[in-house]
Amino acid sequence: MRRRKFLKYSGAGLGLMLGGIWLARNPLRRKLFELGETMILSYQGDTSNPLLWMQVTPENTIVLHSSKVEMGQGTFTSLAQMAAEELEVDMDKITVVHAETGSGNIDGMGTGGSMSVASLWVPLREMAATLREMLRSKAAEKLGVKASALSLTDGVFQSGGNSLTFGEVVAGVQDWDIPDTPTLKEKSSFKCVGKPVPRVDLYDKVVGAPIFGMDAEFPDMLHASVVRANLIDATMSNFDTSEAEKMQGVVQIVKDDDFIGVVAHSRVEANNARLKIKFEQTPNAKWNLADVKERVMVGNGKKTVVQKEGKAVEDISGGGEIFTLEFRSPIGAHAQLEPNGAVASYRDGKVDIKISTQVPMIARDEVAKALGLDKDNVNIIPTFLGGGFGRRLHTPNAIQAAKMSKAVGKPVKSFFDRQQEFQNDTFRPPTHHVMKAKVSPEGEVLGLEHQFASGDTMFNSSLDPGTARALRADIGSIRGGTLIYDAIPHRSTYYHVDLPFATSFWRSLGLLANAFAIESFIDELAIKTNQDPVQMRLKFIGDDNPYGVRAKNVIEACAEKAGYSEEVVDGRAMGIAATIDSGSPCAHVAEVSITNGQIKVHKVTAAFDCGIAVNPDQVRAQVEGCICMGISAVLFEQMDLNDNKLSPINYGAYQMAMMKDTPREIDVVLIEGADIPGPVGEPPLGPIGAAIGNAVRRLSGKRLTELPLKLV
Amino acid sequence: MRNSRAFGIFSGILVLGFVVGFAKRDSGEIAALETALVVDEPFDKVMAVLTHKRCVNCHPSGDTPLQGEDSHLHNFDVMRGPTGHGLAGYTCNTCHGDENNDYSGVPGAPEWAVAPLEMAWEGKTRVEIAQQMMDPARNGGRSAHDILEHLTEHELVLWAWDPGVDAEGHPREKPPVSKEEYIEAVTEWIESGAVIPAE
Amino acid sequence: MKISLIINGISKNVDVDGNSPLLWAIRDGLGLKGTKFGCGKAACGACTIHVDGQAVRSCSYPAKKAEGKEITTIEGLSKDGELHPVQQAWMEEVVPQCGYCQPGFMMATAAMLDKIPNPTDEDIDHNIINVCRCATYYRMRKAIHRAAELSAENS
Repeated sequence: MRRRKFLKYSGAGLGLMLGGIWLARNPLRRKLFELGETMILSYQGDTSNPLLWMQVTPENTIVLHSSKVEMGQGTFTSLAQMAAEELEVDMDKITVVHAETGSGNIDGMGTGGSMSVASLWVPLREMAATLREMLRSKAAEKLGVKASALSLTDGVFQSGGNSLTFGEVVAGVQDWDIPDTPTLKEKSSFKCVGKPVPRVDLYDKVVGAPIFGMDAEFPDMLHASVVRANLIDATMSNFDTSEAEKMQGVVQIVKDDDFIGVVAHSRVEANNARLKIKFEQTPNAKWNLADVKERVMVGNGKKTVVQKEGKAVEDISGGGEIFTLEFRSPIGAHAQLEPNGAVASYRDGKVDIKISTQVPMIARDEVAKALGLDKDNVNIIPTFLGGGFGRRLHTPNAIQAAKMSKAVGKPVKSFFDRQQEFQNDTFRPPTHHVMKAKVSPEGEVLGLEHQFASGDTMFNSSLDPGTARALRADIGSIRGGTLIYDAIPHRSTYYHVDLPFATSFWRSLGLLANAFAIESFIDELAIKTNQDPVQMRLKFIGDDNPYGVRAKNVIEACAEKAGYSEEVVDGRAMGIAATIDSGSPCAHVAEVSITNGQIKVHKVTAAFDCGIAVNPDQVRAQVEGCICMGISAVLFEQMDLNDNKLSPINYGAYQMAMMKDTPREIDVVLIEGADIPGPVGEPPLGPIGAAIGNAVRRLSGKRLTELPLKLV
Repeated sequence: MRNSRAFGIFSGILVLGFVVGFAKRDSGEIAALETALVVDEPFDKVMAVLTHKRCVNCHPSGDTPLQGEDSHLHNFDVMRGPTGHGLAGYTCNTCHGDENNDYSGVPGAPEWAVAPLEMAWEGKTRVEIAQQMMDPARNGGRSAHDILEHLTEHELVLWAWDPGVDAEGHPREKPPVSKEEYIEAVTEWIESGAVIPAE
Repeated sequence: MKISLIINGISKNVDVDGNSPLLWAIRDGLGLKGTKFGCGKAACGACTIHVDGQAVRSCSYPAKKAEGKEITTIEGLSKDGELHPVQQAWMEEVVPQCGYCQPGFMMATAAMLDKIPNPTDEDIDHNIINVCRCATYYRMRKAIHRAAELSAENS
């Protein structure tokens, strides 16, 4: 009787709770978006066993098996510093390698979102500290002394005249007790974290060591080249491989439901034969860029209110006007230098795959599924990536290589060529923005709104599309789209649009386009209402939000370091912009001139608060890289679409910023506004577009509202 | 129009007006239009070739050669350098060999280089080009016979009729006159005194 | 077709289709992976090597042309275990991020410094036209000036 009542009450309780959640779904959703903008996701993988991550060699070195991949962002070096700190070893004793999925050290999320160091900050140091204590106990045992009698310096335990290196400690040991997690070091005792140590992969990259996926091999390997579409939204059919089959060096043409690949004795022979395969492509619908732009418009697609604080701009009482500006950003290519591919070795129902990937676990799972194998029989061996930028989150190349290897009974190395990379990219989606503000007759800004439309970033991704769909809005496209100006009413509404070609993650996701629109508009508002753009921003950011406070410090530091001024001096002007991305505020001041209609960026001053900079030199390198990659996207890059054909499809024709477009000076001010390391690799991309656009505004009087920025 | 002669004059004026109207545009279009005016005289044939993009692309008036069917500025703003062979971090031969490369789509011929500024043709009329070309003060001290040899035997010149394929495997457009006809026309024109008409 | 060449000071033979790009003979025929494939169309420069001291993009250079030539790849830039001044400078300035394009840049830079031992920023802008997506150009510029210094010190 009591039990039934309990069930009845708990059922009612559950019903109330679910009902409450349903009723509050929109505010809850918005809260989640807000959290998403600043929250650091916890590491999704096993951090309970230090020996899964760190291996002590007899030569007294430590091999750190990293489940996060190294694609230039410097993660390997920061992780090594964190481990070295707690292990009490010098950096020269640590080597970092990519963890194979078969080792069990598997990252459930993948490398991206600028999360690697942030999410491993506590777990990795805890594992290192734990391992240190495991070694200390064992050393004490072996030396016959108390653990407390041992001192530890650079991997050597000492007591009296006796010493044991880490390598000597582990010798012959089969079983380890894993003790309780020791207390971690205080920041004030850091010897390694916070130091600008040289990258651990520096030497290899300077001597051209064969560390990339493109360099990987298996013995007795064959080469492959696969057919890919060169039209979007088209069905491929009527494959004619008769000519290809006769080409020199061809071993087998592998025909699968999902692809056709030529396997040959050499890369050149495979590719030559692949180019002889004839096929038809039938467009399902005709697409030109104008059609895409028509689709990507505020008001089209699935609407989600992302941010709703205070009244809508239209509902703010009193006279004045509603000031509106529209902005656009183009389709952006990744253009990472190393093409996608994989080297697979299939034997006896098991497959090893060497691959440049940002998602080793997803690659493993997709290959297992496609080949009907147990996940344990698929081993992904990640390699150093020749650029990631969000491109390597999709792994059809792993599946293709594995299937071809199975078909021919030998290892197979398969890579896309550059044209295929451009034609089959998972692009940065094009966007459209409508910014609105209510301005009083006295010239006061009373409210702000950002409405924006974008193609997919996360919805069709294999990386947790469920969360995105549950929230009914694409967290990736929304990134940077909420307003940080919380001292006045502010709203943000997102429109999700389906497009007939693949779009996905591109470094900083929605941040680049969203920040360009918002920060250009804020600047225009400052001009319109006769306010200093720095002071206006400071006024509009409230003091309640800790990230906002950090952002204000960053804005002030940047303006001061740059000597920010509204004046045009010697044909140069400055523009300032600021963003908070994933909790890391960043501001840029760009110093710009215009010659013959060409925009030139001479100097960028950046202030960046990522909390603790584990490696300040590498944080600077990321800021510099983001600024220069940002200049490329903002001044030069765009894809075109004609009769279902994307163009351009090579470097050169796809204009990018080069050495000559690189600022002569980049000044980076690092601010430590938090006691943990926050995201670094993407946030500094946010302000660069508007910083340049705002400078151009003061120089030319023109407000450029489309990327890439062009005056002629 | 009822009167066919009047019609002929009318359409001739129309075409001329069209040409004059377009003559102010950039070199790519000048080359294209002059190509369309192939008539029968040897001089016409010669200049139809020399004003074609296959030739004008490497006779730029600036420091960067032109490239492609639309004669855009060569990718990466490559520069002529001190001798027309490029700079130091790269030379023309960094990418261009002595024959066309089908793998990379990079055109090639012996002595691949940019013509010196004195031999810039971009933006010039066919008469200006011809006068410049036949003037020893401006053509590197060459006699008419030297020019004849250069125009009919130099491998780099004759490359225009074997221009290879581009990066997408598409064949480059050849000049509007066949090589044999062109050689015949050059020979006839120069051997009969290299007379240059008024326009 | 058998081709004899001198690669990084050592005589080697390789058997490839003479018209195929030297890049693949180097990478797969000879197993030297430092020279990279980025585009195959001479646009990005990741495949840059030296042929008889000149910078050449090996994806646009037929293997048959290498017969009897002296080829230098990134592996051969260092001599007797000592890094080339360009490589030393690259280390000092911590230039690489992903690192894939870096060998091509170092080869192009070494070729430039051979003829322009003391380049200005403008010289660097005009001469160095490879593609780096991580956009490490800012540090490259510093490293190139440093390499010029180091070269001058050595000589």
